Amino acid sequence: MQGGASVRLYGLEWPKESARISRVFDLLVAAILFLAVSGAFHLHYMLTAGDWDMWIDWKDRQWWVTLTPIMAITFPAALQYVFWTKFRLPIAATFAVVCLLFGQWINRYFGFYLWSYFPMSEVIPALLIPGALVLDLALLLTGNFLFTAMSGAFAFALLFYPANWFWLAPYRLPVEVMGQLVSVGDYISYAFTRTALPEYIRLIERGTLRTFGGHSAIIASFFSAFVSILMYLAWWHIGMLLARVVTTPNTLKNFMGLTDKDEPAETAQKAIDRTSLQGRFVASE
Amino acid sequence: MRTFCFRKSSCARVILSAAAAIMQIGILTFVPDAALAHGERNQEPFLRMRTAHFYDVKWSANDIPVNGEIVVTGKFRLFPIWPVNLPLPEAAFLGNGTPGPVLARTESYINGVPAIQSTKLELNRDYEFKTVLKGRVPGYHHVHPMINVMGAGPLLGPGNWLSVTGNESDFKLPIKTLSGETIDNLETWGLGRVFFWHGLWVAIAIVWLVWWLRRPLLLPRFRALTEEGGDRSQLVTSTDRLFGAGLLVATILIVFFGFQATDTAYPRTVPLQGSRATVEPLPEVPEQVKVVVNKSNYDVPGRSLRMNVTLTNNGSTSAQLGEFLTSNQRFINHEVSQAMATVDPNYPKELLPPNGLKVSDSRPLKPGETKTVDIEAADAAWETERLSSLINDPDNTLGGLLFFYDEHGKRTISNVSGPMVPVFTDPDNRTAENPKGGAG
Repeated sequence: MQGGASVRLYGLEWPKESARISRVFDLLVAAILFLAVSGAFHLHYMLTAGDWDMWIDWKDRQWWVTLTPIMAITFPAALQYVFWTKFRLPIAATFAVVCLLFGQWINRYFGFYLWSYFPMSEVIPALLIPGALVLDLALLLTGNFLFTAMSGAFAFALLFYPANWFWLAPYRLPVEVMGQLVSVGDYISYAFTRTALPEYIRLIERGTLRTFGGHSAIIASFFSAFVSILMYLAWWHIGMLLARVVTTPNTLKNFMGLTDKDEPAETAQKAIDRTSLQGRFVASE
Repeated sequence: MRTFCFRKSSCARVILSAAAAIMQIGILTFVPDAALAHGERNQEPFLRMRTAHFYDVKWSANDIPVNGEIVVTGKFRLFPIWPVNLPLPEAAFLGNGTPGPVLARTESYINGVPAIQSTKLELNRDYEFKTVLKGRVPGYHHVHPMINVMGAGPLLGPGNWLSVTGNESDFKLPIKTLSGETIDNLETWGLGRVFFWHGLWVAIAIVWLVWWLRRPLLLPRFRALTEEGGDRSQLVTSTDRLFGAGLLVATILIVFFGFQATDTAYPRTVPLQGSRATVEPLPEVPEQVKVVVNKSNYDVPGRSLRMNVTLTNNGSTSAQLGEFLTSNQRFINHEVSQAMATVDPNYPKELLPPNGLKVSDSRPLKPGETKTVDIEAADAAWETERLSSLINDPDNTLGGLLFFYDEHGKRTISNVSGPMVPVFTDPDNRTAENPKGGAG
C-alpha cells in the first residue's frame, strides 16, 4: 500500500481515496439496483398477483389475502440471502417492496391513469411495507434464516390484511345501485369499465372458507402465512443459487489456437470431443 | 480511410436510429388519440357470425357534454349454431365497448334485471338490454354494446361514434353510501387516506433504509465479512439491534392501532359482491319462416355472399324477406318498404351496405307456402370487415338472422346457417381486358 491518509472501515484499513471511490460505487449500485429491482419485481408481481393487486374490486378477503403475500415474499427472500450473507444488511425486504411500490405507482399513474383514463381510486396497489419491515427486523434480531422464515415470513403475510385495511375500508362501504347492494369498490370498477376484463373473471371469495365464521380474511391470512414460510425458504435458496458466480470454460479458444502456455495445443477434433462430452459448469463461491 | 467512413456511417446510423426511436416514443406518448376503435374487425368471422347478433340497437345521442348521459338500448340473440370451440354462455356480462373508461357506466340491465353482476344466458333466445353511460373524457369515441362470454371473450355489437365535449375536470360521479357518507366523486374517493398511509409507510421504510445506507455499504462490508481482520461486530451493532427492536414494536403497534382506528371510523362495511344474477330470456317466439340453406357461396372476386334457400311460411300471415343481419352488417332488401322503415337515420352508415340484399323473388310468402329463392348480399364490407377470412376457418359455417315482415309490418326472425363454399375464380371469366367475359 502506498503512503497517504487512510481510514478504518469495519476494522480494515482503507486508503481515503479508495474509501471515497467505494462510497461512489455504493451510490451507483444502489441507484442501478433500485431501478433493476423495481422492474424485475414489478414484472414478476404483475404476472403472479396481477389483477388481484391491480383493481379495487379484485381485493377480496380470500384470494387477494392469500395470494398476494405468497407472491410478494419471493424477491424479498432472495434478496435477503444476498444482502445478509454477503453484506450483513437487514434491509433487503424493505428495499424490495419499496422498489415494487415505486414501480407500481409509476405504472398506475402513467399507464392506467394518464394513458388509459382509469381513475386512481380503481388501481391502488397493496401496501407491503409493514410486513417487509418485520421480515427484515426478524432477520436482524435472530440472524438466522430459519427463525426469520418462521417468525418474519409468517408475520409478513399475517400483517398484510390489517395493514391494508387502513386505506381499503372506505372502498368497502355499502351502496345501493339499481336496487342491489354492492361495495363502493364494486361500483367504482363497474362505472369505470374494463372492456376486456368482465365481472365474471373475478374470484370473489370462491370456496368454502366462508363457512368458518364468516370473515374469511383471518383464515386466509393464516393459510397465506404458512405458505409464505415455505415460499421464503424456497426463495432464500433461489437467492443462494443466483448469487453464485458461475463460469463456463472458454472452449472456443482452442479453435482459435489460443491455449495456455503450459497446455499443448489440441486438435480441433479433440476440442469438439472434449466440449461435447463435458459441457460442464464450474461454480465458485 | 475506409475505417473512417465505416465509423462515420455507423455513427450516422446510430444517430438516425436514436432519433427515430425518440420520435416513435414521442408519437406514442403525445398522440394517443390515434387508436379509435377496438379491433372489432380483427375478431374471427365465426365469432361475429355465430355468437351474439345485436339488433334494434339505438343510441340516444351523438353528442353529449361531460356529465351528460347517453342511453344505448337494443336486443341480442345468442345464435343456436354456437361454435363448437367456444364454451356455452354459462357466465356472461353486459359490457360496453369503448376506448377505456372514457364514459362512466351508471346503469345497465338485461331484460330489466340489473347487470352489475354476471349471468347465465341461453342459446337461441333473445334478450333486451339497456346501458346508461355518462360522458367523462372529451373526444370522439366509438361506443358499442358488448356481451362478454366466459371463454369466448368480448362479443361486440354495432358501434356508433359519439362526441363528448367539455372539460374532463368537471366530471363528477357522486353517490351516497348506505352508512350515510356522501361521496362527491368516486374518481377521487378515499385517495387522501391512500396517500397518507402509503406516504407514512414509505417514510418509515426510507428511515430504515437510510439508517443503513448512511454507512459505507458494499465493498467495505463485504471485505469485513470475508477478510481476516474485519470487525463483524461493527457491521451490526447493538444500537442497530436496539433501533430495530424499537421499529419492530412501532410497526406492530401502528398496524394494530391503525386497524382499530379504521374499524372505528368505518364500522359498517361489506365485502365485495360476487354473486350471479338470474335473467330470464324474452318470451320465445316461434320461428314463422323455416329457412333451409341449400347452397351458399362466397364469391371472392365479386365480394358477395350468395345463398340458395328454401323458405317455408308456417305462420298465418304472409312473410316478406326484408333483411339479412350478420356480424353487425345489415343487408336490407330495398324492395321491402317495411324493412326500409326500420332503418334509423342515426344508425351508423358503415353498417348498412348500400347495395343491400338482392332476393330473386321478393314477393310475400303466403301462409303455408314453400319457395326456393336466391339471395345475394354483395358489398365491399365482406373484405373491409374482414369477414371473407371465413374461408380460412376450420369451421367454415356462416350464420346470421333473416328478418321477415308481414303486410302490417310485423316482424319475425329466423336463423340462417350453413356451410359456405368459396368461389375463387370468376365463372364468367371477366377480366379488365374482357369485361363481358366468356371466351373473348
